[in-house]
Amino acid sequence: MKSNTIAPVAIKSRVKKGSVPVYVPFLFLIPAIILLTIFRYIPAFSAVYHSFTDWNGTSASNWIGLEQYNNLFSDSVFLRSMQNIVVYTITRTLLTTAMAIIGAELVYNLRSTQMRSVWRVVFTIPLVIPTTVVFLIWRRVYSGDIGLLNDTLRLFGLDGLTRAWLGNPDTALWALIFVGFPLISTFGFLVILAGLENLPQEVNSAALLDGCSRFHRVFAIDLPAMRGPLAFVAILSINAGLQEFAPMFIMTGGGGPVNATQSPGLYLYQQAITYGKYGYASAIGTILMLVTLAFSIFILAARYRRAIDVEV
Amino acid sequence: MLKSNAQPANVSIEVPRHRTNRFIMRDWPINLILAFFAVITYIPLMVVLVNSFKDTRQFFTQFWLPLWPLHPENYGKSWPVISENLINTVIYTAPTTLLVLVVSALTGYAFARYRFPGREILFFAILMIIMLPGILLVIPMFTQIVSWNWQNSVQAIVLPWASVQIPFGMFLMRTFFETLPVAYFEAARIDGASELQLFNRIALPLALPAFATLSIITLLFAWNDIIWPLIALFDNHKYPISIGVLAFNTTTSTDYGATFSAYVMASLPLLILFSFTAKRFMAGLSGGVSL
Repeated sequence: MKSNTIAPVAIKSRVKKGSVPVYVPFLFLIPAIILLTIFRYIPAFSAVYHSFTDWNGTSASNWIGLEQYNNLFSDSVFLRSMQNIVVYTITRTLLTTAMAIIGAELVYNLRSTQMRSVWRVVFTIPLVIPTTVVFLIWRRVYSGDIGLLNDTLRLFGLDGLTRAWLGNPDTALWALIFVGFPLISTFGFLVILAGLENLPQEVNSAALLDGCSRFHRVFAIDLPAMRGPLAFVAILSINAGLQEFAPMFIMTGGGGPVNATQSPGLYLYQQAITYGKYGYASAIGTILMLVTLAFSIFILAARYRRAIDVEV
Repeated sequence: MLKSNAQPANVSIEVPRHRTNRFIMRDWPINLILAFFAVITYIPLMVVLVNSFKDTRQFFTQFWLPLWPLHPENYGKSWPVISENLINTVIYTAPTTLLVLVVSALTGYAFARYRFPGREILFFAILMIIMLPGILLVIPMFTQIVSWNWQNSVQAIVLPWASVQIPFGMFLMRTFFETLPVAYFEAARIDGASELQLFNRIALPLALPAFATLSIITLLFAWNDIIWPLIALFDNHKYPISIGVLAFNTTTSTDYGATFSAYVMASLPLLILFSFTAKRFMAGLSGGVSL
């Protein structure tokens, strides 16, 4: 497994100088450069630029400096949405990563290869269910009148705990965080399991010979060796979490009870589409981008700090 | 005789383990835990399936178990709407996936097989796009497609969707192409193959497992995205399934059977496709993704 893919180490030239014209690799890159410039870079720069204007989509926009940002930081709904999304993203990332590790370790420790592939398929199947359907199903799970969760609680005689989980400001955000429980069936589970199965078998045998229990091995060998895949899973999860829109939009509608589940992504959408405040919405998006970058850099720094990668 | 035959079987279960192996349990506790997780994962899905065959009165009676008579006519109610959305989804996702595969393969190949000035910077610049929040770009892209008069068009969905997936696809393909032995390429080059032939005749055929993984990931993304089609499409008849099932849910909110049958039909195509490609998908991931 290549461990340092983010900043590629100079590899020895595979081709003798002069044998391949220097423009050849660029020919391969042209389609990507065109597409990404038009549909990623230009919109990104445009959004950041327009966050400093009073753009409303119709009339010409005027440069108003930091006014949108000043307004944002005194907008209680926006501040609430940022607080919500940070709580949502951090707990959900920790939860999904932890469950992915637990699930992958359980499957990895099975001695029967047949059972391994059975469980792997079992936990991959739910992944292909459209997320809209997943959120609609979980809206029903949390429903106050005829909900699976409340019904289960009543089954165990816990009638006192039943409530309209999504309608209650105290529980709505947590209900969203636990969508998909037990969260074994995730992309992260597959990535970590694949990573574990790529570990050389000799390391395991050596650890066993040295008297290292399987449980201890998880922390001594598996997790340190899984730094790369874990960083990958965490960054994807944080990136997706911070800009989350669909669960709030589908499960709790416009921000939930007293904005308990309002997210910056949903707020951006409302400001732009409902009120036509494109400049304001762009400022929300720009802040979201900065927060995402900060989180990603933090993860990458944690991953490469004191990290001596064993080439496996 | 009988006794001595039975004895070893019993003994073999109770063989005292070596102390250091205390945590090496037999596999059944692991299977039990996994089965427990699986049951919780599948219960909501099964409940939906069960209730898609009930009428409203049966649904209110109880919703955990099937009730007879079954009501398959629920599917007849949702089919006209959902089938239209499913066809739209295919129209959007098929070109998206194809475009992602072709462009990612070209880009990943260039980064894996060539050294050229600006290689690291370009690679990093493309990789950075993964960290760009898609929602930030939605408004400028919307005004852009409006100015081109692309609302409700297929390309307004396909090109942005492909652009979202290409950076990750490039990353996956590069990692994959780097694992191919250099000798293959050098041998072909000595035999006089052109650069395009190297790509077409050697790299592409070997990349099929990675393609399977990338196409499923792209398909899943396209199948799930709601925000961009919600903004770029104004016509109910153009909606992909992700929004179609949501809209159907709103219009039939009290007809639970029909609503649940729509959920099932929205999920079926990918489930069927996946059951054929599961092995390839997992084989493609087994190379590992890492940062």
